[in-house]
Amino acid sequence: MDFFAFLVVDGALAGAIYALVALAFVVVYKASRMINFAVGEWTMVGSRVAAAASHAFGLGLGGALGLGCVGMVALAVVFKRVVRRPLISRSLLSMIMVTIGAGIFMRGAAAVVFAGIPARIASPFPLDPLVVRGLPISVDKIVAAAIAGACIAALSWFFHGSRTGLALRAVASDQQVALAVGIDLHRHFAITWALVGILSVVAGTLWSFASGGGFGIELLGLKVFPIVILGGLDSLPGTIIGAFFVGILESLTAGYIDPLVGGGFSYVASYMVLIATLFVRPYGLLGRRDIERV
Amino acid sequence: MTSAPTLLEVQDLHVSYGRIRAVQGVSLSVPDAAVVALIGANGAGKSTLLRAISGIVRPSRGAVRFLGEDLVGLPIHQIVRRRVVHVPEGRGILARMTVLENLRLGGFTRRGQADMALELDRVVTLFPVLRERRGQLAGSLSGGEQQMLAIARAMMARPRLLMLDEPSLGLAPLVVREIFRIIPRLTAEGTAVLLVEQNARMALQCAAHAYVLQTGCVVLSGRAADLLAAPEVQRAYLGAG
Repeated sequence: MDFFAFLVVDGALAGAIYALVALAFVVVYKASRMINFAVGEWTMVGSRVAAAASHAFGLGLGGALGLGCVGMVALAVVFKRVVRRPLISRSLLSMIMVTIGAGIFMRGAAAVVFAGIPARIASPFPLDPLVVRGLPISVDKIVAAAIAGACIAALSWFFHGSRTGLALRAVASDQQVALAVGIDLHRHFAITWALVGILSVVAGTLWSFASGGGFGIELLGLKVFPIVILGGLDSLPGTIIGAFFVGILESLTAGYIDPLVGGGFSYVASYMVLIATLFVRPYGLLGRRDIERV
Repeated sequence: MTSAPTLLEVQDLHVSYGRIRAVQGVSLSVPDAAVVALIGANGAGKSTLLRAISGIVRPSRGAVRFLGEDLVGLPIHQIVRRRVVHVPEGRGILARMTVLENLRLGGFTRRGQADMALELDRVVTLFPVLRERRGQLAGSLSGGEQQMLAIARAMMARPRLLMLDEPSLGLAPLVVREIFRIIPRLTAEGTAVLLVEQNARMALQCAAHAYVLQTGCVVLSGRAADLLAAPEVQRAYLGAG
């Protein structure tokens, strides 16, 4: 029982970070129906920019995240202007292909640009795990999940309480209507990409604390697809639920099934759920029924 | 014509969709704070004319002068910012947002100029039913209420010129009458209305001036009361013998 509880808590903490990455994917999808296959690379570059800022200027975690966000927002705006804008009114497929190309480019460019710079920020938190009711939980993961939770809350306020968030939701529901009430679409697409930049920095940095090595951060992008298909491509609450579900599922399969089959099953489990979802409820838990297929 | 200053002046406007020439050399003017009706059969080019004024389609020739400035070529949001607001056919409300959110969006361009609560209050005074329904999803409103919401949302921008495309479409006669009762009251807020309608009688009764469009051209224009009495209008658009 204790082992089970440990796995659930551990999975939920990872799920909080997955949620940030998945939200970065969903805000773009909602605004422009664009599938961003490079979301993992965005997260990787985000964490590298923050780490570079930290090592170059000797900044603490807050400063590094702040400077990282500035850098990624700049990158996002450039991406939106240089890469995305010429594709307006082109087919959706070419926009999707462009994200794959951008992902490969970002991987290659990061290897050159960040050569010799440490890839991660040293965790400022104590190494000894916190023991809660007999369960050892790493402080890194708790802090990472708490920051992720705060970001999710801030994002949800932004979309529902602010004028810009309301405008972004209008752009997401109907671009003609958004234009008719005087919303500048280009400006708001740029804001969407800026959000992707910020979420990438935060999620990437937190993941580098919580994972403590493990698989490459770009692969975090692969977690996004089961999450958003499960949650429903265009639903923010569904995405968050999906993220926690996938986090816990991975943790449980890693704990119970991996030892039996020799490891690796936890990476596949969420894709099995993805396939099952597509059969049973292709629009996801909270998605709209009239969603298009990709 | 009245002596009121001209708000909108459309001069020799041509709009084509590919090889189809939808509007062919239309000129018209809308005086400040007046209701002007645009009537004509299906496909006469009425909606296209509104879409050209609000920047959704680009005219191939001609000018759209609003308070002396040519609007042709401006992006849509810039035209809205000049307080020229278009309520399209089919209303364009956001069904999955609440009535209140739809209204707040209507005031999107007025940041820093208006106290949103006061503006909301002003607009829902025109449409009291929206006050009761403000927390509901807009998609759950009846057709008439959705049309009212669409007009109310446009009024949140404090338009100098409001363009309504077929506000009576698909609504029950009683509801249509209610909407047409409200339209003349909008001018009291300093808003001129350019009204496109298939229901010619209703439109002519609430407008001061009117234009009759046929296959992209203005074939008749004048005071609405005169057109209402004109035999050719009666025959073609009012169903009189």
